[in-house]
Amino acid sequence: MAKLDVELKVNGEDYKLQVGSQERLLDTIREQLKLTGTKEGCSVGECGACTVIVDDQAVNSCMVLTAQVDGSKIITVEGLESKSGLHPLQKAFIEKQAVQCGFCTPGMLMSALALLNTNPEPSKEEIKTALEGNLCRCTGYQQIIDAVEMAAEEWGG
Amino acid sequence: MVEYQLLRAHSLDELLEILDEKENVQILAGGTDLMVDLHHQDDKFEKIDYLLDITAVNELKGIKLGNKKGEIGALTTHAELVNSPAINEKLPFIAAAASSIGSTQIRNRATIGGNLANAAACADSFSPLIALEAEVVLRSKGGARKILLEDFVEWPYQTIIKADEVLEKIIFAMPEGEYYSSYQKIGRRKALSISRISLTLLAEVENGSVKKAQVASGAATPFPVPFRKVNKYLNGKNFAAINPVEAGNIAADEMVGITGERWSTPYKRPALGKLVERAVEDLLEEAGYNG
Repeated sequence: MAKLDVELKVNGEDYKLQVGSQERLLDTIREQLKLTGTKEGCSVGECGACTVIVDDQAVNSCMVLTAQVDGSKIITVEGLESKSGLHPLQKAFIEKQAVQCGFCTPGMLMSALALLNTNPEPSKEEIKTALEGNLCRCTGYQQIIDAVEMAAEEWGG
Repeated sequence: MVEYQLLRAHSLDELLEILDEKENVQILAGGTDLMVDLHHQDDKFEKIDYLLDITAVNELKGIKLGNKKGEIGALTTHAELVNSPAINEKLPFIAAAASSIGSTQIRNRATIGGNLANAAACADSFSPLIALEAEVVLRSKGGARKILLEDFVEWPYQTIIKADEVLEKIIFAMPEGEYYSSYQKIGRRKALSISRISLTLLAEVENGSVKKAQVASGAATPFPVPFRKVNKYLNGKNFAAINPVEAGNIAADEMVGITGERWSTPYKRPALGKLVERAVEDLLEEAGYNG
């Protein structure tokens, strides 16, 4: 099957890529761009481990074919840290001990970032709704919600 | 081994041209159902030569609500419905149904047209739109036809869309005068929940009576239907003469009349009855009737 040409801006960098007909955004990010922070969990949109931001919206990268998002701006967990250091969300996750095994963390951070980018002062309910598509089997969620609240206070709000 | 050629349409004309020219084409929109099938290498892909992504077709996007008529483009996402001020103000039961679907990530991608065209028995978009007596516009290169949504599904996962057609938009008359609505859903959890039963009640009221009621459910029957007997029970009735429990019983009997006695009936009969009862109670309360 013929490959398709796509252009993506990932974490601020432009890429011209060739992708297969069945290649998911998750595959492109991990296998072609070697950005392995984005995790594959359930592969069917239930767990949110593969969450990235596509054109300002949190999406499951396992449920999108890369060719569908040709021309899009994408942010992965690797896009959080800048020259000035860790992102306030990352600092808050560390401070609030919102990370245990860490597998869900990249997806959690992306869902939280998409929320704070559009809603800098979210309520607790809005945080829960933003994170409802991200499963964590370690923390019990409370520390993660606390971390997003803290980041919102220090950075978003 | 699944093999197909992925195509992308960038305009409605291009989309209709591809559907006209090629055979064995499967349309791909938000992908939140289809990508699950692809991951499982579902048998349905054996019959597919082309997967046609339509997410770049802007003509299929958008919400327009006028005073008399409304339309929702097939590619409108559930997130767009949840966040639409017009939908929340005028048709809040559609926003309620959309917000109950999947998760934030799913709602950002999943489209209302995809939810209808996939035609799962549990699809949450049907009951609010059937309550609105909505029609779907199916367009092909040769023209368009309008079909009442309640006639759109033949069987679970089976619609009357022809191979050269695409679901373009959903159209409906806006409810008139004073009206109230209720959307309810029973699932096994809050997020990422597949409906056990969902229900919409939409009622136009006038002078202390129900002028026109529309009750429809999802997941209660193999494919979504309006509950005509309970509509008939409510229509024209003075608030004082409405018994919510009786309305619930009528709806439950009507459901079992369609499905027959099944393994789930001992659960679904009282559950549906109670949802209808609650919806009618909400209606009476919101309409200011205190019994």
